[in-house]
Amino acid sequence: MAGLSPSEVCGIEKATKGVNVLSEGATPGVSVDSDLAEQNLLHWIINMHGAPGTLYEGEVFQLQFKFSNKYPFDSPEVTFVGNNIPIHPHVYSNGHICLSILTDDWSPALSVQSVCLSIVSMLSSCKEKQRPPDNAFYVKTCNKNPKKTKWWYHDDSGLKPTKKT
Amino acid sequence: MTSVNMGNCLKRSTTDDISLLRGSDSVRESSSDQLGPPAYQETLPVQAASPVYHPSPSVTRSVTQLTEEEQIKIAKRIGLIQHLPTGIYDGSKKARECVICMGEFMVGDALRYLPCMHTYHMTCIDDWLMRSLTCPSCLEPVDAALLTSYETN
Repeated sequence: MAGLSPSEVCGIEKATKGVNVLSEGATPGVSVDSDLAEQNLLHWIINMHGAPGTLYEGEVFQLQFKFSNKYPFDSPEVTFVGNNIPIHPHVYSNGHICLSILTDDWSPALSVQSVCLSIVSMLSSCKEKQRPPDNAFYVKTCNKNPKKTKWWYHDDSGLKPTKKT
Repeated sequence: MTSVNMGNCLKRSTTDDISLLRGSDSVRESSSDQLGPPAYQETLPVQAASPVYHPSPSVTRSVTQLTEEEQIKIAKRIGLIQHLPTGIYDGSKKARECVICMGEFMVGDALRYLPCMHTYHMTCIDDWLMRSLTCPSCLEPVDAALLTSYETN
């Protein structure tokens, strides 16, 4: 891996290991398109099944992970993509997810597996399928990259993403 | 403390500890208006010309763009990181894996121990601590924990 700084090598090793772990099926309901990930280690599509016994049972979602060369020191950009975006108070109809570990509370100890588990569990705890109250406005005005949104993480009652200036 | 002194702090620390500079490769700008004396170029060719720092994890700035407040913050971080114990992995410790890179510790690897007893590769954790002084595993603030460990010992 000539020409890469130690932190970049660290990120590549972690991403490679992540593909392997997910390919082995270590996380129930979560699998990675390993052909795509092997072509481009910085861009993954993950299939996520709604957990049994929850509002999302039987549904399949696609999650996109985009890594920068600063991963794992910088959080991956994680969005839902494809035809089926889960209807959830923290998920916008454009696939953006309001989840603090994806921005402010990111830690380099988090992995793709742990992020997937957090998202599965966020979906599983949902009691009523509905979009965030400000969905229409947010989707119209937001940046394409959810990491450019300044999220307010004061939980369920009032979600208020505001744009970073 | 004047800003000239702060510049000296940053310069001296970065030339002392090369590991803190690794990964700071993407931003290269003219260093004509750098604070403090010119970088020591002989041992640190390209990277020392304009190292980048991360006042917080998602913010990247070249050394010339840092505010005085951010310079102080980063100088404190560098000082504090240098007070954290290091060691060489000899295969005997319980910790087997660095959760940052998910790589197993190999005999001879340079490690750093945080006050909360979590252990990482030195290059991995130093890269993170230069962005945030928290333990990636337990999220404990490293500076507060270090003070506590001094008080109890």
